Amino acid sequence: MGETLDTRWFDPARLNLLLGLLTFVAFLAINIRRAHSSKAGLFIRPIAGLKALDEAIGRATEMGRPVLYIPGIGDMSEVGTLAAITISSRVARRTADLGCDLRIPCYDPVVAALIDGTTREAYREANRADAYRAGSVYYVSATQFAYVASVTGTMLRDRPAANIYMGSFYAESLFMAETGNLTGAIQIAGCDQVTQLPFFVCSCDYTLLGEELYAASAYLGREPNQLATIAAQDWAKALAAAAVVLALILSALGHPEFGRLLRTS
Amino acid sequence: MRFGPLVVTFLTGATLIAIFFIPHHRAQETQSIILEWADVVYAFALVLGSLTLWTMHQKKVRQRGEGWFYSAVTLVSLAGMTILGVVQGVSADTVVGRVYNMVNAPLASTMFSLLAFFIASAAFRAFRARNVEATLLLVTAIVMMIGRVSIGEFIWKGFPPLTEWLLDVPNLAAKRAVALGIGLGAISTALKIILGIDRSYLGRG
Amino acid sequence: MAAATKSFWHRILGVDRRWIFLLVGIGTTLPLLFPVNLPVAPSPRVKAAYQAIEDVPEGSLVLVSLDYEPDIMAELQPMSIAVLRHCFRRHLKPVILTLYPAGPGLIESALAIASAAEGGRVRDEDYVFLGYKSGNQAVILGLGENIRGLFPRDFYGTPTDSIPIMKRVNSFADFPLLINLSGSAIADYYIRIGASRYHRPMVLGSTAVMASDYYPYLSSGQIKGLIGGMKGAAEYERLVGIVGDARHGMDAQSLVHVIVVLLVLLGNVALFATGGPKARIGGGA
Repeated sequence: MGETLDTRWFDPARLNLLLGLLTFVAFLAINIRRAHSSKAGLFIRPIAGLKALDEAIGRATEMGRPVLYIPGIGDMSEVGTLAAITISSRVARRTADLGCDLRIPCYDPVVAALIDGTTREAYREANRADAYRAGSVYYVSATQFAYVASVTGTMLRDRPAANIYMGSFYAESLFMAETGNLTGAIQIAGCDQVTQLPFFVCSCDYTLLGEELYAASAYLGREPNQLATIAAQDWAKALAAAAVVLALILSALGHPEFGRLLRTS
Repeated sequence: MRFGPLVVTFLTGATLIAIFFIPHHRAQETQSIILEWADVVYAFALVLGSLTLWTMHQKKVRQRGEGWFYSAVTLVSLAGMTILGVVQGVSADTVVGRVYNMVNAPLASTMFSLLAFFIASAAFRAFRARNVEATLLLVTAIVMMIGRVSIGEFIWKGFPPLTEWLLDVPNLAAKRAVALGIGLGAISTALKIILGIDRSYLGRG
Repeated sequence: MAAATKSFWHRILGVDRRWIFLLVGIGTTLPLLFPVNLPVAPSPRVKAAYQAIEDVPEGSLVLVSLDYEPDIMAELQPMSIAVLRHCFRRHLKPVILTLYPAGPGLIESALAIASAAEGGRVRDEDYVFLGYKSGNQAVILGLGENIRGLFPRDFYGTPTDSIPIMKRVNSFADFPLLINLSGSAIADYYIRIGASRYHRPMVLGSTAVMASDYYPYLSSGQIKGLIGGMKGAAEYERLVGIVGDARHGMDAQSLVHVIVVLLVLLGNVALFATGGPKARIGGGA
């Protein structure tokens, strides 16, 4: 019983994916070069939700209330969580600069440990290491609704002036966003789970849709290499859209072979 | 410069990408081992996280801060469940198992059921015919809400097929477009981290 | 009079959300106390899931991964019971596991209900319950290689090597069908590994909110059928010919949907009565 052991060193059914990945890496290399050679830098369209981050942190500082940053309930294997960690570092830098209280309740202990490190570093870089309060980044619970109860409790008790949701969210999204809406906080969300986006759109002032979450770190950092990744992503998207349209036309004309090449296994 | 973590990230990321294309059983075993390592790392982080939690609530209890009683309940629960779990195990007939099934399970179900209330209040506020797009959204939402439940069929036989069409055609088209963007964004983010372009997770911008 | 009318509509627009909660509460409770059992028409996706189980030869072992905890049991527990009853009725032998620590209690309960309803089934002869294993993706990868190694004992402590029907299976390849009922990314892992890498036919059950995420997999043929949320569970119950919690729950769901639609319509009437879409919209309190 059981499968015979596979001894192949390459899966030919994944050749199209390998070519796609190599194309993406090539786009990235070209755009890194472009970013460094261009004096004006690469253009990246403004993202309203990210522009509002400064406003939200500024408002919290003026009101003397904390900023609550919620990095989702994904673990480190989810790209949305990686994006949440990088954005938290940028947010921490702003709160450190402005002297605003920042609180980050975490669902995953690994994520908590990483965000604690990046936040400390952000305060150190802002020459405000003394302002970093131990315990401002804390692990709550890896149980979904225990986490929700804790976060919504913090919202109702401490009345943060700004709630920032960034990362992978599931059924808890609406609980937290509606509670935040009730407290009157400015709410900015970014989520890569398509099914949760409508909930954030309903309850938040600004929502980063899907890939905008991934672009946020580059947008906030403005480093040429990071901006190059956004440009490469756009090129890849244009190529993918062109391939889909071409496959559609060829299939309609009775040549489905190209469409089959795009299939994954 | 934190060279060590960057090298570890690059090697692990590159290895896992390579394994994706290599069906050889040795490669697949390596993947399983790496995933098991991730579990081990998680276990250590769980201890670290629990200690942070303990320290935070202990401080609150000592200082008699606002809501210190709840912090005390957290500390007692954390210590009690950990000790009993280690001593007795966690199967259904142990104290931990019973507490989990009789306290945690109903609490979690109750919390989840609150979603219906939040959805209703959010829908009431959000679905307003402010412009053409919002009106389209409003009409679609009403068709979906009525067509997806038994009463929809009672009202009009065409509701269920209409909702199926809405889900299968416009909804799926939009979802695929968003998913394509998310997929490429995910690749881009992963490459940024594997190649060390984005180091902010290490505390470097 | 006009001022009074205007004031009424403004009050509607700014209604305290607790009134909405109260209406939803009543809408949920009444049908549960006084069920009317509204009819349910099975959708093609659920019919396909049902057919996939019908197509498995009698006496076969099917791998059933029930990956959920109490929070979403309202949607997935009736689904599990209906699917298990269908398997038992067709004399299929489910090999059941969970990747969630709070899952075993729910599974034991579902097994007890399904087994009793289908005339009593014998553990380790008619089904095997392997229990919980941590590691999500790593476990699913392991299921493709060595199940008995991954689960040396079943949930009740019996060595899996000593369970006669387990001698017939040790990897995905040995099962004619995989069934995964979950409300998380676990479903994606099963699709990527079980359905795509090991090319096993797969039936998926998910929460209603996540169901549409899996439509592309259904149209690409990577999954054979999809049971979405309580409605999907109710449709499955109808196909199996039983009236369970899902069909009871559909009455409540219907009434709550109607209440929400009426509230939305009322909100829009109020919007127009207070100056139309360009006027400032008041939220719930």
